[in-house]
Amino acid sequence: MDGFVEQPAPREEWGSLAPSIHLPLLPCLLHHPVTRGPKETEFQKTKEACLNYIQDALLQNQWQRAAEFMISYLEILETSTVSKRKTAPEAIWRIGTEILLHHSKSNIEELNYFTERMKNLGVKYYLKVCLEHIFYLLCNGLIDEAYQNLTLAESWRYGEQTAAQNDELKLIQAYKGLLDYYNWSKKREAMLELDEENFTDSSEQEMHNFFRQAAVNLKEIIKIPGVWDPFVVSYVDLLEFYGDFDEAREVLTEYAYNSKFPPNPNAHAYLYHFLKRRGESKKSLVSVLKILHKTVPSHELMLEFYTMLKKSKKDKKRRLGLEVIFEVLDFAGWKENVKAWSCLAEQIKQILDNSNKHLDWVKEEWNSRKDWWPAFHFSHYLAKRNWQENEKLAYEKALLAGILLGKDCKYYKYVLHQGCKAKKKRFQTLKKFVKKHNSAYLRITACSDSSTHL
Amino acid sequence: MQFPAPLFPGPHRAGPPSREPPCPALLGWGGRGPVLGAGAEPRQGFVPLRSEKGENWEPADAVAVPLLPPNAGFRVLAVTPHDILYPGRVRRKLQAGRTEAALDFTRQLAHFFLDHPEDAFGAMGQLLQENFHLGEARLRGKACENVVPLSALLRELSHMDARRGCRQLWVSSRLRGFCHLSQAWLWELPLGMLGERLHEELALQWDQLLFDDAPTGGALAWLPTGGIGASRGCLLHPAGPAMDQLCFQDVVLAPGEDGALRPCAQGSPAQFKLSGRVRQVSATQVDGAAFVGVRSDYHCGAWRLQPGAVPTPLQVVRTTSPASCLTVSPHLPGELSLCTHSGAVYLWSVETGLQRLCQEPETMFFRDASPWRWSEFTAHPRVLSYADRTGVQCLDVRAPTQARRDLFKVGAEAGCQRGERVVLPLYLGQAHPAQHLIATQFSVYVVDERFPLVPALRWEHMMTVPPIFAHMMPGSPRGRSHKVLLGAQRTQELMLLQCTGGSTSACQLVGAPRRLHTIADGLQYLPAMTPHQLDWLHQRLGMPAAGVTATLGRCGPLESMLVFQLSEAGDLFYQTLLHSQPADSSPERGHADEPSTSPSLQTPAQAVQHLPGPGTSCGSGTEGEEEDRMETYLSGLEVLVNEDSEDEDSGSAGQPTDPGAQGQGRTSPNQTPAPSPAIAAQYRRWLATLSHAWKHLAEPAKPRVPLTLSQRRLFTRRELGQVPGDRVLHQQARRQLRRAMRERGLVVGCALGSEPSPLPLPCPVEPQAWPDDLSERLTASWVGGWSNWWEEQQGRSQARQARVRALREQRRRRKRARGLCSLSGSFSSSLTCQSDLSDFSDVSAWSVGSRAPTPVPASPQHSLAPSLSGQDAPAEPWPGSPLACSTQLSQEPGGSQDPGTPSQLLSSQMLRLRGVPRERRKTLRDYLSIFTESPVEPPPEVPSSQASRLGGDHRVPLSQSQASSLGGERHVPLSQSQASSLGGERHVPLSQSQASSLGGGQHVPLSQSQASTGSQAKRKRARMGF
Repeated sequence: MDGFVEQPAPREEWGSLAPSIHLPLLPCLLHHPVTRGPKETEFQKTKEACLNYIQDALLQNQWQRAAEFMISYLEILETSTVSKRKTAPEAIWRIGTEILLHHSKSNIEELNYFTERMKNLGVKYYLKVCLEHIFYLLCNGLIDEAYQNLTLAESWRYGEQTAAQNDELKLIQAYKGLLDYYNWSKKREAMLELDEENFTDSSEQEMHNFFRQAAVNLKEIIKIPGVWDPFVVSYVDLLEFYGDFDEAREVLTEYAYNSKFPPNPNAHAYLYHFLKRRGESKKSLVSVLKILHKTVPSHELMLEFYTMLKKSKKDKKRRLGLEVIFEVLDFAGWKENVKAWSCLAEQIKQILDNSNKHLDWVKEEWNSRKDWWPAFHFSHYLAKRNWQENEKLAYEKALLAGILLGKDCKYYKYVLHQGCKAKKKRFQTLKKFVKKHNSAYLRITACSDSSTHL
Repeated sequence: MQFPAPLFPGPHRAGPPSREPPCPALLGWGGRGPVLGAGAEPRQGFVPLRSEKGENWEPADAVAVPLLPPNAGFRVLAVTPHDILYPGRVRRKLQAGRTEAALDFTRQLAHFFLDHPEDAFGAMGQLLQENFHLGEARLRGKACENVVPLSALLRELSHMDARRGCRQLWVSSRLRGFCHLSQAWLWELPLGMLGERLHEELALQWDQLLFDDAPTGGALAWLPTGGIGASRGCLLHPAGPAMDQLCFQDVVLAPGEDGALRPCAQGSPAQFKLSGRVRQVSATQVDGAAFVGVRSDYHCGAWRLQPGAVPTPLQVVRTTSPASCLTVSPHLPGELSLCTHSGAVYLWSVETGLQRLCQEPETMFFRDASPWRWSEFTAHPRVLSYADRTGVQCLDVRAPTQARRDLFKVGAEAGCQRGERVVLPLYLGQAHPAQHLIATQFSVYVVDERFPLVPALRWEHMMTVPPIFAHMMPGSPRGRSHKVLLGAQRTQELMLLQCTGGSTSACQLVGAPRRLHTIADGLQYLPAMTPHQLDWLHQRLGMPAAGVTATLGRCGPLESMLVFQLSEAGDLFYQTLLHSQPADSSPERGHADEPSTSPSLQTPAQAVQHLPGPGTSCGSGTEGEEEDRMETYLSGLEVLVNEDSEDEDSGSAGQPTDPGAQGQGRTSPNQTPAPSPAIAAQYRRWLATLSHAWKHLAEPAKPRVPLTLSQRRLFTRRELGQVPGDRVLHQQARRQLRRAMRERGLVVGCALGSEPSPLPLPCPVEPQAWPDDLSERLTASWVGGWSNWWEEQQGRSQARQARVRALREQRRRRKRARGLCSLSGSFSSSLTCQSDLSDFSDVSAWSVGSRAPTPVPASPQHSLAPSLSGQDAPAEPWPGSPLACSTQLSQEPGGSQDPGTPSQLLSSQMLRLRGVPRERRKTLRDYLSIFTESPVEPPPEVPSSQASRLGGDHRVPLSQSQASSLGGERHVPLSQSQASSLGGERHVPLSQSQASSLGGGQHVPLSQSQASTGSQAKRKRARMGF
C-alpha cells in the first residue's frame, strides 16, 4: 500500500478567498446576483427550479410529486448549454430510476422501458445504465432477463473507453460469469441428485460450457485489484470441482497477499478455509492466521487460531496463543463473548496449574492492560450487568478478576457474593481456586510493579 | 465479532482522487450499487448495496416545534455576506468549485476610524492641536500665523455625517483637498498594514461564513436516563447571551394525542456558567454513569452525570491553541480525547490528566492548510482514530509514535472526488463496534476498522453544505436498521439515513434518505406580522444550526423518533417522526407511497425555505428574492393566510389558534398541511416570549432596520377606537379582503359593499386669479404655449420701458408748466444740494404714482411678489387667491408714504438750475430717490437701539462733495457701502438694509433706480435660471 499520495494542493490555485473546503454548492443564503459571466436564460432558470423541486420531493419521499415535476424537467434534454447537455441525461436517468423504484404504481415493465430509453441517451452512460438495470433485474429475481442484458451489454463496443467504462465492462463480464456459475451449480445439483447413468452427455456438455464461460470471465476480473469476494468464491468452487487445486490455491494466495489488492480479511479467511478443506498442514494454517492476526486481531478466526496454538508443543506458539486471546478480549466487540473469556480463563488456569511455569507470560500481557482492563472489564457496574445477563460470562470473568486483580477486586467480590448467595457450587470452587492462587496474583502485580519501576 | 463474509464487489484503485465532482449533485439517486448473492445459491436472490426497502419514518408534525422558551438574552447577530462584501460581487465557478467575492474592507476601515478615533489619529491630533483652529470666531493678528481655521471643514463633515447612508454622496472639494493633503501622514497606524490585516480578517470571516468548522460535532446531546429507549432523559445544551451556559435540562417524553412522543421539559435545568462559547457537547454513557465533555475554544471541561444526582464537574483543561475536538470514550469512564488546532491529540483521563499522543502540524496524506483535527475512539479502547481533512488514521495510545494504521484516506481507494475533504468522523460503536461513519462534503462513508481504506458503504448525501453534525441511533439486533442523522450548519439541513449490516451481512444502505424539517421551515406558517418583525424572525429562525441529536421511543405499538435541533441563537426545537408500517408488503415495493396524490397538497418546497413568509414581502426586493418568488409561484403554492382572523397584527398574542379556522385550512385542497392547533399554540407562545424579550432588548443590540415613517400619529387613539359605523359592512369587507388574499385576486371596490361617495373635486384653478408672472408662465406651459409667452413677455417688457420713458417725459413737461415753487431751500445747506434735490417732486410723483396704473418693470422681484397693479384684477377676487391680500397690501406702502415736498427737490428743472449736467441728472435722481423713501418712519419691528441710531432727523443731509462723489454709474448697493463709511449719515443705508432685511411682510417701495439699474443684471440671470 502506498501510504503517501501526492496531490496538488488545490487551495493555492483557488486564491485567498476560496473556502477552506471545496463546497459542492454555494449555500443559497449566500447567493448574490451574479454581476459577471454568462447570464442564465429563463429556460435554464426554470429547469433549475424544477430540479430543486424534484430534489425536494425526493428527499421528502413524495414520489408522485416528484414524478409530476419530472414530466416538465424532461425538457432539459433540449437545452443548448453544453455542460447541461452533458449532465442532463444522467440526472434524468438517476431521478427517473429513483422515482420508479419507489413509486407505488410503477412496475418492472415500466422501469425496463424507461431504462431501455435511457440507454440511448448517451454513449458515456450506456454501460452504467446497463449495469444498474441488471442489478435491478437480479434483485427482483429476473435472472434470465438479467443474463440476456448482460450478454447484450458485454458485446457493446464504442470507440475508446474511459477507465470507469472499463471497470463497468469488466463488472458486466464478471456478473455474467457469476450467473454462468449459478447455472453451472444448478446443473451440478441436478447431477448430484441424479445417478451417474441418468446424467446424459449433453447435460454434462452443457455444464462444462457453463463452467468454461464462467471460468473465463471470473478469472479475468480476479486479476484486477479489488474486492471480488463473490467471484473468487465461485471461481474457487469451480476449480475445486474440476480438481484444479493448484490454480485455486494460487488464486486465493494472490487474492490474499498481493499488495495491490486491498487488505480484505475475507481473502485470508477464504485461503484459510480452502487450506483447511484441503487438509493442509497445521503449519501453513497457522501461518495464514498469523498474518490475519497481524492485520485483524479481532477477527472471529482468532479463536480458532488460539485453539491451534494452544495445542502446540512449542512454547513460542503457546505464548502467541495467550497473546492472541488477550488481544481478542481487548476489543469492545468481544467484551461479552463467553467463549473467548472461557478460553482465556482456561489458559490462565492451565498456566497456574502448571506450577506457574509461564506466569511471566501472563505478567507481560497483563502489564500493558492493568491500567485499563479493570475499568474496561471488571467494574462493579459490569459485574452487576453480567451477572444479570449471563452468569457463565460472569463466572469466567470473576475467575480472571480474582487471579489478575486479587480477591479484593470489586467484580470478583460481587459475582462471588451473588454466586454464593445463589448457592452455586462452582462459585465455591472458584473461591477456593482464587484463594489458592493468591500468590500468583501477588507475583503478577509485584512483577509488573517492578517492571514499571524499572 | 464476525466479519461479513462476502463483501460487495468493486474495483480497487490507489492514488489521488480522480473523479470530478458532479454538477448538479444527484449521484445519491438511482444507483443501487453492486449486488450480492444473498446466499450461496441464486434462488436466495440478490441484495443491492443500496436497497429501497427500509423503514418508513414520517414526520408527525408539519414543522419543528420549539421545545424551550427562546434564548432570550441572545443578541449576537450572525454575520451576513452583506456585512463584509461589496453587494453583488460573489461569483461562483461551479466546475472549479471556487468562489470569488469582493470584500468591502474600506467600509470596515471607516467604521474603525469612527469608532476608535483616539487609536487611529490620537498622536497626530495632539501634535496638530495648536495649528488647527476649530472655533467659529475669526482669528486676528498674530494668532493667524501657523493656524488653520477648520470650522468650514468641520461644518462640511457634519453635513457628511448627516448624509450618512445617503446613496448619492457628494464630497466637497474642500474635503477632497484635505484628504489628499493629509492621507499620507494623518494616520497613527500605517494604513497599508491596517488594511492588510483587516482584509485578512474579513477573508477569514468570509471563509467562516462559507464553512465554519468550530461547531463540528454539535453542542447538543441527549442522555437517556435509565438506558437507551427510556422515556426520560437529559438534554445538554448551551444557553445564555453568549451561549456560554451549559444546561442540563430534564426532559420527559410523553405521548401526545396521536400517540407520537413529545418531549416536555421538567423543572429548571442545572446550569453551569463557562468562560467561553460552548462549541461542542459530547456525551456517552459508560458503566451506568454519563460522562460529558464540553468544548469551547480554549477550555474543555468534563462532567459526570449519575442518574438521580446533580451533574458534577470533574475537570477543566485550558489549551493554548483552540481545541477542535473533544470526544468521550464509550469504553472507559472518565476518558476523553482532545485535539487542538496545533495538530496535537491528547488522551485526557480525568484521573491522570492529559497525555499528549502526537503533535503533527502537517496533514497526513497530502497537504491541506486546515488546522482542524478530530479524534474518536475505536473498538479498541487503547486505539484512537485521528483525523484531519485528508483522512483518518488509527493511533495506538500505548505506542503513539509507531503503530499507525490508515483507516480512511481521501483518494481513489475510497472512490473520492476531487477536492473532497473529511468533515466529520463519527464512531458508530453502538451500532457496530468496528464501524466508523466518515462524512465529507459530498458523501458519507461507513468504514470498517478491520478492512481499512476501502469503505463498506459510500453514498453521496447531496447536501448543499457539508454535514458537521451527525447522530446515530442504533437499531435493534433483530434486523432493524441503524438510523444516522446528518446535520448541516448554515442551512440547518437534516438528513436521515438508514443502514444495516456489518457483522453477519455486508453493510447496506436501506430505505430512501429523508430530509427532515429545519427550524427555518416554521417561517412559512408564521402569522401575519409586520415586515420588520418578519425580517427579524427570519434572522432568528434562520440562524445556523449548532447541534443535532435524537432519540427513539416507543408508546404502545407506535415508535417515535425525536429529533432535537439547536440553533446558534440557542433556540431548541424538536420534531417527532413516526415509524409507519409498510402498507404494501410486496417484496418489490418497500413501503407505501405518501398518502397524498396531488402535488398541491404537498408541504412547501424546501427550495423556498429562505423565502420570506408567503404572502408577505420583506425588505428590499433583490433579484434573488424575485426569483424565489417566482419559484413559489411555479410550485403552485398558495398564500398561507393566518388562520387566526382577529388578531392579525398581534401574531404574538399568545392565544391558541381558532380550531374552526384550522379545520377549514385543512379541508381546503389548496392549502399546505398546517401545523396542528396544539403546535400552533406552542409556536405562538414561543413567539410571544421572543417578541417580549425583543422589546426589552437594549437598543444597540437590535439589528439595524431601515428607517421608516411612524404610523402611530396618523390616527388618534379615539379615531382608531371608534367602532366602524356599519359593523356588518366592516366585517364583510374584512372577509372579502381575506378571501382576495387567499385567492391572490383583486379586491374590486364594489365588492366591499357600498361604493364610497365620490370625493368633492378641489376648486378649479382660475388662471386669471393668478396674474403674477410665474403663474402666468405656468399657465402658459400648461396650455402649451410657453415659448410664445416668453417672446411676448420679452417684447412687452421692452415696450413697457419705452412707455415708461414716454410717460415720464410727459409728466415732466406738465410739471414744468405748473412751475411750482419748492421748499427745497429749507432742506439743503448748500446750493448744490438744493439743486440736487430739486427733482424730488418728479421722482416722488412717480413713486407715488405707482399706485396708479403705471407700468412696473417686470423684474423677477416684482413678478414673484404679488402684483401691485390692479389693472388685470377681476372684479371679484377669488377667495383664497393672492389677489385678495395683494390688493390690501398694495395700499399699505402708499399710505405710509408721505407724498410731500422733498420730491420736488429732484425735479429736473432744479437740477438744471444747479448746473448738473443732463446725463448725470438721472443717476443723481436715481440715487436720491432712495432717500426720498428712506426717511419714512422706521417700521415697528426695528429694535430700539437701531431706532435710536436712526435718529430723529429724517431728512437726508447730503453734502455737496458726497453728491459729487457719486459717480453716474454707481449702483445702490455700492452707495450703501460707501455711505456706511461716511460716519454720521449712517442712518441712510441702514434704512435701506433694514428694508431688505425685514423682507416680505412689508412692501418696500424700491426706488426706480434700484429697480431699473440694480436689478437689470439680476433679472437676466434669474430668467436664465427658469
